[in-house]
Amino acid sequence: MRIRSVALRRVAATATALVVAAAVGACGSGGSGGAASSGSGTLKMWVMGDAGNGFKTLTADWSKQTGIKVDVQAIPWSEIHTKLTTAVASGNGPDVVQVGYSLVPTFQQAGALADLSSYAAAHPALQDGAYLEGASLKTLNPAGKLYTVPWTSDTRVLFYRTDLLTAAGISKPPTTWSELHDDAVTLAKRGSGKYGYYIPQWDLALPAEFAWQAGGDVTDASGAIKLDTPQMRTALDYYLSFYKDKAVPTAADFDQVAGFISGAAPMLISGPYLAKSVETQAPDLKGKWAVAPLPAGPAAGTSLFAGSGLGIWKNSAKTESALKLLDFLATPAAQVKWFQIDGDLPSVKTAMTDPALTADPNVAVYVKQLDDAKLLPLNPAWDKADQDLLDALNKAALQGADISSALGKIDQAAQGQPK
Amino acid sequence: MTRAVVPEQGSGAAVPSMGRLGRSSLVARIGRIRTDGEVGESGVLSESGQSGEPGRSSQSSQSGQSGRSGRSGRSGRSGQSGQSSRASADRRAAWTARADRAAPYLFVSPAFLLLFAFGVLPIGLAAVVSLTDLDVGGLGDLGKVHFVGLENFTSLLASDSDFWPALGNTALFIVMGVPVIVVTSLAVAIGLNRSRSLLFRALRAFYFVPAVTGIVAVSLVFANLYNSQFGLLNHLLDAVGLPAVPWLADPTWAKVSVALVAIWRALGLNVIILLAAQQDIPREYYEAAALDGAGRVRQAFSITIPLLRFALFFVTVTTLINWMQFFDEPFVLTGGGPVGATTSASLYIYKEGFELNRFGFASAASLVLFVLIFAVTAFQLWLARRAGERR
Repeated sequence: MRIRSVALRRVAATATALVVAAAVGACGSGGSGGAASSGSGTLKMWVMGDAGNGFKTLTADWSKQTGIKVDVQAIPWSEIHTKLTTAVASGNGPDVVQVGYSLVPTFQQAGALADLSSYAAAHPALQDGAYLEGASLKTLNPAGKLYTVPWTSDTRVLFYRTDLLTAAGISKPPTTWSELHDDAVTLAKRGSGKYGYYIPQWDLALPAEFAWQAGGDVTDASGAIKLDTPQMRTALDYYLSFYKDKAVPTAADFDQVAGFISGAAPMLISGPYLAKSVETQAPDLKGKWAVAPLPAGPAAGTSLFAGSGLGIWKNSAKTESALKLLDFLATPAAQVKWFQIDGDLPSVKTAMTDPALTADPNVAVYVKQLDDAKLLPLNPAWDKADQDLLDALNKAALQGADISSALGKIDQAAQGQPK
Repeated sequence: MTRAVVPEQGSGAAVPSMGRLGRSSLVARIGRIRTDGEVGESGVLSESGQSGEPGRSSQSSQSGQSGRSGRSGRSGRSGQSGQSSRASADRRAAWTARADRAAPYLFVSPAFLLLFAFGVLPIGLAAVVSLTDLDVGGLGDLGKVHFVGLENFTSLLASDSDFWPALGNTALFIVMGVPVIVVTSLAVAIGLNRSRSLLFRALRAFYFVPAVTGIVAVSLVFANLYNSQFGLLNHLLDAVGLPAVPWLADPTWAKVSVALVAIWRALGLNVIILLAAQQDIPREYYEAAALDGAGRVRQAFSITIPLLRFALFFVTVTTLINWMQFFDEPFVLTGGGPVGATTSASLYIYKEGFELNRFGFASAASLVLFVLIFAVTAFQLWLARRAGERR
């Protein structure tokens, strides 16, 4: 009996070995069978963040009309890179993908998206003119081809606490750099643990915004990263002046929502998402805060144009259906509906004047700011250069390091990177 | 048991094969029973073909060797079948002998395949990738990948590279974390071993809970405890009149705070390991020591700790390896900040590889880290072996 079971176990072990070997083999050859997983009338769509359910609501009626189902998969922002690299490496992606504007260079570099320029004539979504200037088809696709189509818009504006500014004797929100600085210093004198302004140590866009406001840019005419400019130096001096005059918190874990609600940071530059957080977390603060266009620097009051576009996966077999979805999402009606569902601003000009948007004074400010807003460079070297710039700035702000030599080094490193 | 089977179903056919196997090991016995089975069956066949005399067949089987010769004399067919079955039995025996030799390899092959597929192969791949400029574009189109030689390594190990501060942070974390974990988990394990009462069992669970709690949940809780605006810890400090601590807000303090969470998380598992090892130490040693007048402290230092040295060695080695790969806590608590103060080597590699898509560069960095871990572990093993020899 014992002997037989030993023999049996040997057989079982051999079988296990074979099964494992087969499984490992299957892993190696996997990826070929994925295309058939969704039905012929179903588009696989990746939506970023937590907008998955909202997107299902948005497309429900359209799916009924066209018979094209949308299989929505919500990808958390933190997992996009991993998800993208896996999809690129395996060649197994969705049909339609939402591309945050900060990810446009990565998607481009990965060659993940299809060039849609040959379909442009037949599809309204692929024609410029309807879109806002800051993120038009042309600005999003500088190389001439057509990979990314605008979808939603986002920008940065000045948030301020009307009650606290009034109490400090400030009657109107700052409209210039010097007003912002002076008001911040005034407000910081309210006592310990109180500040005038808040600079997030993770805000990768702020140095570029200040550079634009100083009349400069972060790339040269050819599109290469160029940070070592007089305008950038002016911008960084301004940035650091808030630290020098102790008008901003130095704590790395300062929470901007909590800080704005408590009044510790009565002024800050942020996006519409902050308004949403404040409205839900502190509804009783209503009427005590407002938004305003960014205070203008020596040259302009340019803000960041953020948001996200849409692209069609390179080897999608359903390009025609996918283009129909893009056409639908570019209609003013769908754009406004998406604003009502998720709060993302439209990217189509005609949708901007819809009463659903104009009724809200905050939204009116966002819409106005979008007229003077710029995309960050769509250069693959930008992410690293920007991170290095922010690291150097934080070191200068918090540890008194010298930043003047850093700019040239970042430029050099960025130019050594593949474009 | 087998011995009884062999002569009974018997016939000599089994004998040569037995002789050839010539081993009394378990594997040999498996082989034997197989060949016996074959012969037994053919024997039964020839008997039934021969005659229906139960007496004869029972006689032949009882008489063993002589029975066989009698049968083969009576029927040539039966004799032939005996011959061929003997030859096939030999072949089978040879085959099983080969299979027996292969068996251990088959047994380890699943583990080995997994180790190869997920351990050796990735390291080899990383070594290849580290010599290229692979990025996200290269993943989709291998034509975009270029061989760059040791360029990744030279820029990684350049004097102004951010890899050095990351390695420095890792070293600092190790200096803070590993001794504290080893000493504390030993102290806690000795304390917990003093009693098996309900309270102590509850305490055991209490120490183990962090080890089975998800890191994301842990980080959410600690981020809120530590927060400089609304954190509970500073609130408590304030309540007793102590100044606020910038737990995660200040570069120096952030290192300590992140390490504290990691220590708290690692304690549970190590306490359980040391507790289990202690329970193998015979009670008599303590009784004898107590008779000789040794107190609890003396017992701990003269009995428990020396007898725990293998468990302690294990705990030290695994803890050190874990801390050389320190990643989870800074990743979720600080993201490596403020100003890079909590960026460990692993976090640096992750950021370069998966946030900036510099796979070639990140592979070079991970190879360097691998070599460091390998060297440190080999050194520890060498130390342990030397200490063992001296004993």
